[in-house]
Formats: sequence, structure tokens, C-alpha cells
Amino acid sequence: MTQAERLQRRIDAYLAELRRCLGELPPEEVHDILQEIRGHILERTEASGELTEERLVEILKALGRPEEIAPLYQVDSVVAKGRVSVSPRLVLRAIHRWSVVSGWGLVLFVLGIVGYSTGFSLMLSAIAKVISPDRVGAWVGGGHFVIGTVLDPGARDVLGWWLVPVGLAAGALIVFGTSRLLRWTLRFARVTRPTERPVTP
Amino acid sequence: MVNRDDADQADNWERQVKKGWLELAILASLWGERLYGLEILRRLEDATDLVVAEGTVYPILSRLKAEGLVETKWVEGDAGHPRKYYWLTPAGRSRAAAMARYATGFLGSINRIIAPLLGKEKK
Repeated sequence: MTQAERLQRRIDAYLAELRRCLGELPPEEVHDILQEIRGHILERTEASGELTEERLVEILKALGRPEEIAPLYQVDSVVAKGRVSVSPRLVLRAIHRWSVVSGWGLVLFVLGIVGYSTGFSLMLSAIAKVISPDRVGAWVGGGHFVIGTVLDPGARDVLGWWLVPVGLAAGALIVFGTSRLLRWTLRFARVTRPTERPVTP
Repeated sequence: MVNRDDADQADNWERQVKKGWLELAILASLWGERLYGLEILRRLEDATDLVVAEGTVYPILSRLKAEGLVETKWVEGDAGHPRKYYWLTPAGRSRAAAMARYATGFLGSINRIIAPLLGKEKK
């Protein structure tokens, strides 16, 4: 193996390790990151004149270890996207990432699941009412209040057709409110590098 | 005499301070210019000692992009490999300006409060 091949192999190994550590990010994002870091390494090596193994090691060392850099991308991009996104999926994903490192994140993640599932169920009930008006309703009977379908024949549908607008509006409001609340809390998400101690905000 | 723990703590404190300023420095380096990652890094390294590990600058850029503060484009140049260029969006410009205004006031107050410490050291 020539010197050039050996150096190339070293760069490839670094990038392969980085790719492995980037794991769950979307493929196009991973591709972008690797292309950018590869460019950095190539340009640094070109600038250093005659490239030796020692010089390459220095360049990679200055860059940082893949397992230290990769989490910064995951946390940064996922949390940052959640902060500005209207998509419950992205917001929840960001909160989930936060919940891995913080108890607050975990509490909010559970809250998010409850909020979104309540909101979406209400909206689904409204749609189901249109499809199956006799079985779906806001039932009161036997000391229970159930939105959906009940088997208890004595239960009374208190909303009737009103379930459609009320369910849609209340459901949408709850989903929207959950997103707003979670996005607001994401501003306080401080997710630090594993090698560093957390900063108190 | 400085014992090892104190030195470690001072080191950690410095790192945290640098980390906080890095974002502003990155936005500042893009003020009025389009640069690619390594150019930004070189600017920062020439003008400051904020960069602890070079690899940390790229994730910050990627977050700034996700927050809509910078825009990016891959450019195939004569480098032999594509370069990802960054520039400030209008939102990025106003954020950078706001951060700069805050920073001046903040540094002024810190300077005032630490002035006696520096005076003592000079004696």
C-alpha cells in the first residue's frame, strides 16, 4: 500500500465512523454532512503542502472525534427543526430527543403524546360521526362520559350532530395548543455534548 | 499555586464561555459575505480563539440553517470538490444585529464589574 492510499484509507475510516455515529438522521442530511466534512479534510490536507500521516492525524484531531461531533448534529438539527415546525411529528421528535437527556424533556414528551392523541381522537370522532351517526356520539350514561362508540344501550348522545363541529374545533385547538406549548418549551432545551457538563441556563 | 481541580474548572468555564459566543461570531463572520465552512472557520481562528474543536462549527451552521437564520448552497468550484456556501437571511441579519447590541452592553457591564480584579493583578 502506498502512502497516499494509506492516508485515503484513514480519511475514509473517519468518514465511515462519522456516518455510523450519525445513524438516525435523514439520508440526505447525512450525505450533506459527510460531503462537507470530506471537503474540510481535503482542503486542510491540500493546504498543508506535503501531506504526512502525522499531519493528517493532526487535521482529524482538530476536527474532533466522530462520536463527539455526530451527536451535535442530531440534537441540534432535530431540536432546531422542532422549534420552528408546525408538524406534530417533528415537534414530538425534537421533544423526544430532548427527553433522552433531561427529565423535563421526558415529562413534556408524555404531555405531548397525551395532548396530540386527545386532539386527534376528538377530530377522528367528529369524522366518524359523519360516517356512522348512530353509533358515534358523546355518550352519557351509567356514570360515564364517552366520546366515540358505546355498547351501553341506555346511554344518551348529548351532542348529536354538534359533535362534528365541536370535535373538529376542540381537537384542532388541542393539537395546536400542544404544538405551541411544546415548541415554546423547546426554547429551553439545552442539549450538551456528552463530554461536557450541562450548562445551567 | 493552582491545583489540578481548579485548573480543570477554569478550563471548563472557558469552554462554556466560548461556546456561548461562538454562534454570534459565526453570524458576524457572515455579515455581508458568502463564505463556505472552512472560510468561516479560518476567519474565526484568525480573529478569535473561540473554536475549541473545528468539528463543532459545522453542526452550529446546520442548526442556524434549520432555524432559518442562514441559507446555503452547494457550489461546484475549482476546488475539485463541492463547497457549501452560507449567507445570512434577513432573519439572520436581524438576529445577528440584536445579538451584537446585547453583547456590547453585556461586555460593558462585565468590564465594569471585573475592573477591580484586573487592577489588583497589575500591582
